Amino acid sequence: MRSAAEEATMIVRQEVRQKQREDKLLVKLKLKFSESIYLPPAAAFIALFLLWEAAVRLLNVNPVTLPAPTAVVRELVGSIAFYLPHAWVTLYEALLGFFLGMAVAITAGIFMAHSRLLERMLLPIAILANVTPIMAIAPLFILWFGFDALPKVLIAAIITFFPMLINSIMGFRSIDENHLEYMNSLHASKREIFTKLRLPNSLPYLFSAARTCVSLSVMGAVVGEWSGSTEGLGNIIMMSSNYMQTERMFSAIFMLAIMGICLTNIVRFIEIKLLSWHVSSNRGI
Amino acid sequence: MTYIKIQQVSKFYKRRGQVTEALRDINLEFEQGTFVSLIGPSGCGKSTLLRIVGGLTDIDQGEVAIGGLSPLGAQKQKQFGFVPQSPALFPWRTVLQNMNVPFEVNTKGTGMKLEQREDPVELLQSVGLGDFVHSYAKELSGGMQQRVGIARAFGSGAPILLMDEPFSALDEITREMISYQLLDIWQSHQKTVLFVTHSLREAVLLSDKVVVMSARPGQVSKVIDIDLPRPRHADIEDNEQFHHYISEIRGYLREKWK
Repeated sequence: MRSAAEEATMIVRQEVRQKQREDKLLVKLKLKFSESIYLPPAAAFIALFLLWEAAVRLLNVNPVTLPAPTAVVRELVGSIAFYLPHAWVTLYEALLGFFLGMAVAITAGIFMAHSRLLERMLLPIAILANVTPIMAIAPLFILWFGFDALPKVLIAAIITFFPMLINSIMGFRSIDENHLEYMNSLHASKREIFTKLRLPNSLPYLFSAARTCVSLSVMGAVVGEWSGSTEGLGNIIMMSSNYMQTERMFSAIFMLAIMGICLTNIVRFIEIKLLSWHVSSNRGI
Repeated sequence: MTYIKIQQVSKFYKRRGQVTEALRDINLEFEQGTFVSLIGPSGCGKSTLLRIVGGLTDIDQGEVAIGGLSPLGAQKQKQFGFVPQSPALFPWRTVLQNMNVPFEVNTKGTGMKLEQREDPVELLQSVGLGDFVHSYAKELSGGMQQRVGIARAFGSGAPILLMDEPFSALDEITREMISYQLLDIWQSHQKTVLFVTHSLREAVLLSDKVVVMSARPGQVSKVIDIDLPRPRHADIEDNEQFHHYISEIRGYLREKWK
């Protein structure tokens, strides 16, 4: 038989153990939260939206000035059939421009990495195109190429071009001297040195530029649509600004933000898959 | 029969109007299948001499012939397996893929064809890297990377291996272990090796011939034949003759200090 005292200590012990178990669970949850990639930013977003919603409701803000996020989401989901075709147009212009700009930049990069003279001749032109505000060129492109997709594609391509060019020149050039000497000891041709050494060496540089450029290209498409268009999310923003349809404006902004996040993450995903050998591919953005 | 013949070779470097004499009147002859070490103080031009033989640096005077070919001609024929100071493994390739590089470039050169090659996995196993065949370079230690570099050179089918201080970046213990592995792998392949080193121990342990060089200008001060029996193993370092050779070389190196 156990005494009452023993009985009591056992109960206390059990309670302590239970408490410890709960503590451990809490610690585990905390750890899981802080180590997770998605949870902390998701929590921050939710907090931001709650704050926004609360501010709009409590301060009685005029929905023309600032609609509540729930109202925006309601508008977006309710009229998704209206927004999607426009989003598709913008995405199409941005991606086409992105790929065009990338292709031209890498081709130019190959030539310019090859010859210092070519670089000295062409780089100032590229820099000139880069420092000229794209907003200033956009109306000109509309004048030249009309209201269709073409001027938007070209603007997106121009925005993409410069960072891609600089990074591809750097990537093709910045090879390890030891690697080059090793290739020379095998009497590798210039073409072999390019495909087996310079090109793989440039991939981390190209991807880092592509990550920035893919969202820049969306900006380019929108800027093009502002200057003159009949469709696209940029067009919606322009029109809704004229008619003070703030909810509609915010819906288009939301879609653009989501588009940017998705595109950047797709590039990031391909980068991680392709460049597992590279040090930086293991780190976060 | 002479395989590598270096005749009256001189090399100058011109920098900011100043001319430095890197090598002066080098005369050397090596037979096929010999392991030759080039030893000397920094700046004696031993790495330059290695690069001249490999056709990576041109010469200002004299002549180099490798089996009747010029260095560049021999390079075109893929006669060289180069092992630089840093292992020069491509980080985007696995160990096995790095072993393939010599067969993927300059395929017109009359080097060994892919079908005739020695099994690269077996080669890697022989240097203790059997478990790392599919690893990337960044997953290997410096010593392991250098062993891949050596295995790649031996597996490339090239008759002449040029090694430029391959162990200099490694710690003493790793160095000692790899030098025995190099001894073993050389024993089973018997290639002609030019091995640049700062280490007297490595030079005597590995070589048939040690070329002692002096600096400013780079000159050959002595060529010493190492008459130690082969195959050599770790116990050779207990041999009295082994230490005799080391002190002899040290003597020649010191002579030049005065």
